[in-house]
Amino acid sequence: MSAGTVDAQPVGVERVEHFATVAQQRHAATLGMWVWLLTELLLFSGLFLVALILRLLHPEAVQAAAGHLKFWIGAANTVVLLCSSLTMSAAIELSRLGWQRLMVACLLATASLGTLFLMLKGYEYYADYEEHMMPFLAGRPYALAEQPATRLFVNLYYVATALHAVHLVTGIAILLGITWKASRPGFLGRHQNWIEVYGLYWHFIDLIWIIAFPVLYVVNR
Amino acid sequence: MSRAGTLHGDAAAREPHTPQPTLDRPDDYLHARSTLRSWFLTTDHKRIALLYLASITAFFVIGAVAAGIVRLALVVPDGAIMTNDTYNKAFTIHGVVMVWFFLIPSIPATFGNFLIPLMIGAKDLAFPKLNLASWYVFMTGALFTLISVVLGGVDTGWTFYAPLSTAFSNTWVLPALIGVTIVGFSSILTGLNFVVTIHTMRAPGMTWFRLPIFVWTHYATSLIFLLATPVITLALILLIAERAFHVGVFDPAYGGDPVLFQHLFWFYSHPAVYIMVLPGMGVISEIVPAFAQKKLFGYRFVAYAAIGLASVTFFVWGHHMFVNGQSDLASLAFSALSFAVAVPSAVKVYNWTATIHKGNLRLDTPMLYAMGYIGLFVLGGLTGLYLATLAINQHIHATYFVVAHFHYIMVGGTVLAFLGGLHFWWPKITGRMYNEAWGRISALFIFVGFNVTFFPQFILGYLGMPRRYATYPPEFQLLNVLSSVGSTILAAGYLFPMVYLVYSLWFGRKAPANPWDAKGLEWETTSPPPPHNFSGAPRVPDVPYDYPIQAPETGSHHT
Repeated sequence: MSAGTVDAQPVGVERVEHFATVAQQRHAATLGMWVWLLTELLLFSGLFLVALILRLLHPEAVQAAAGHLKFWIGAANTVVLLCSSLTMSAAIELSRLGWQRLMVACLLATASLGTLFLMLKGYEYYADYEEHMMPFLAGRPYALAEQPATRLFVNLYYVATALHAVHLVTGIAILLGITWKASRPGFLGRHQNWIEVYGLYWHFIDLIWIIAFPVLYVVNR
Repeated sequence: MSRAGTLHGDAAAREPHTPQPTLDRPDDYLHARSTLRSWFLTTDHKRIALLYLASITAFFVIGAVAAGIVRLALVVPDGAIMTNDTYNKAFTIHGVVMVWFFLIPSIPATFGNFLIPLMIGAKDLAFPKLNLASWYVFMTGALFTLISVVLGGVDTGWTFYAPLSTAFSNTWVLPALIGVTIVGFSSILTGLNFVVTIHTMRAPGMTWFRLPIFVWTHYATSLIFLLATPVITLALILLIAERAFHVGVFDPAYGGDPVLFQHLFWFYSHPAVYIMVLPGMGVISEIVPAFAQKKLFGYRFVAYAAIGLASVTFFVWGHHMFVNGQSDLASLAFSALSFAVAVPSAVKVYNWTATIHKGNLRLDTPMLYAMGYIGLFVLGGLTGLYLATLAINQHIHATYFVVAHFHYIMVGGTVLAFLGGLHFWWPKITGRMYNEAWGRISALFIFVGFNVTFFPQFILGYLGMPRRYATYPPEFQLLNVLSSVGSTILAAGYLFPMVYLVYSLWFGRKAPANPWDAKGLEWETTSPPPPHNFSGAPRVPDVPYDYPIQAPETGSHHT
């Protein structure tokens, strides 16, 4: 890729009217995303707390249910998301350098890795279905029916991973939208900080999975 | 968007013989543009505040009518006026609409939106488009909830306790749950906008300890929006998943735990009390110094008390569950922590009272509301201590004592502060003065009507009348009738401002920039303000609340 050095673009942020300075505008955008991530953290933390307390209250049931989770798919997905954070970080660095084409390639790679995660997750749900591990399906007997406490853990697993998947789907959609805008000429001169601010969100989705994976799959395994 | 003020306003700068079609048209934010599009797609925080004001007033009317139906049903002890189902739906609509669609957005989304940029000397909130989006999110949530009301209503109470709401209720719970979930996001977006604005948009010289208390309390409120609302969002998502897809987390029949819902619900809904109360405290902290013409007593303590309340409130949710199978140790801790809430609350009350002391007092409408607020908040707060006491709580849990207690805080506190603030800033918002005599009369009606409605409920609750029942023993009828009579007085008090305030929009006297001789940047600009708030850079004074009389009194008033 020799293209990067050749077409280095001017980098900057265009001031919006109600801000006094560009620095103020950048500060507001970054702080806004951090504050949003704080609320997202609280959205998930309730679920994780409940899952951990459930382990204390019903250790055998949770161990039995967690044993049915597909550890290796979860582990593979952890690697996939970590790689996507790497490409996202690369995109941020490249945006600072003004290497627009390479940056767009990294953004696309990030979106692709996110999609790969969702595909693996979908396969995992399918495997769960095959193993009769979906207690909420009325017409399909539940594999661990004799241990009622397992249902709560399994249901929490579905809610937590589905909520995470929803964030990933939204994240990929926004990422593709930004990538489309970022591929146009002059983007980095006007909105370079979009990439940095969005990067925070992507890393956060990654972080939530890094908490979810041990809490659901790994503890007491 | 912005029009040069000098072009139309300054006669000397105008070509004398050129016809000027827009000569008489003021270029403040209300008149600068007048198309429907300029209102519904506006990013001006002041116009968005008015969009919110119109919407929450409509919801207040819906909630008030539902309350009227409840009070009508309780005139007779045997529930003969309407079916029990109708009664259950009426109190649920009252609670859902008043809590989620009036009280929570009331002061922050209207006055907070309108005033925070003015008070800190900014042109707008940090994210104007997000601000508009939050109103649309709010209206979308409202639409879902209204759909559930129109289709036939909900009978779970505003608390949506599982498994009643997930397994047993045959009413339109799902659209109501979806509506309330969506509304949460509008709270989060508003809180996010406020926090970022207060951090990044302050005018040069506007340090944290020069901020008006109104801004401090909204900062504290925003923290609760941000930290508590996501938890109720999660709880509601779990309810929806359980009701719609049988993903059981709360219903024991699906392996769930119903007390878990109460924990998640109250982890938000107790702090939500302070979402409703703190902005009102901010309003009172502006009104009291202005109408005493005296510096706010103990500025820093009032500011710290706001942050203190916003912190302590996260650790008291268990006091809603003293009789619901919570461990004794947990109850003991939650009881002690609930007592701690009284400390920052009392700090504020003492500081307002000390500000009034030896002030140059004017009893105009906003001040009447503020004084009513202080009295009723004290009564509501002290009865809160009864409820926080474990042994007494066993006796009065889920009785009308609780109903009276939280109405003293919610209505006596928040609604009075809302109305006080509405009158205080009405000249700034609309550029018109309301009729002062009618203002005082309606304040009196509301104060008297409120007390006649809710004081009997303390006695009813103490005597053991449980809340949420359509019938009651005949010996309670006298007090119930008294309460219903009071509610009609209260309703009259609410109706008056709706008439004379609207009347003033066209026929009221034009308001000067600062009709109350109040301090604060919002009074430095014109009434109503121009689209970008200030015509020049606002000059930030060295001290907040720089009124003629010092506090504490130094003996020599330099008036």
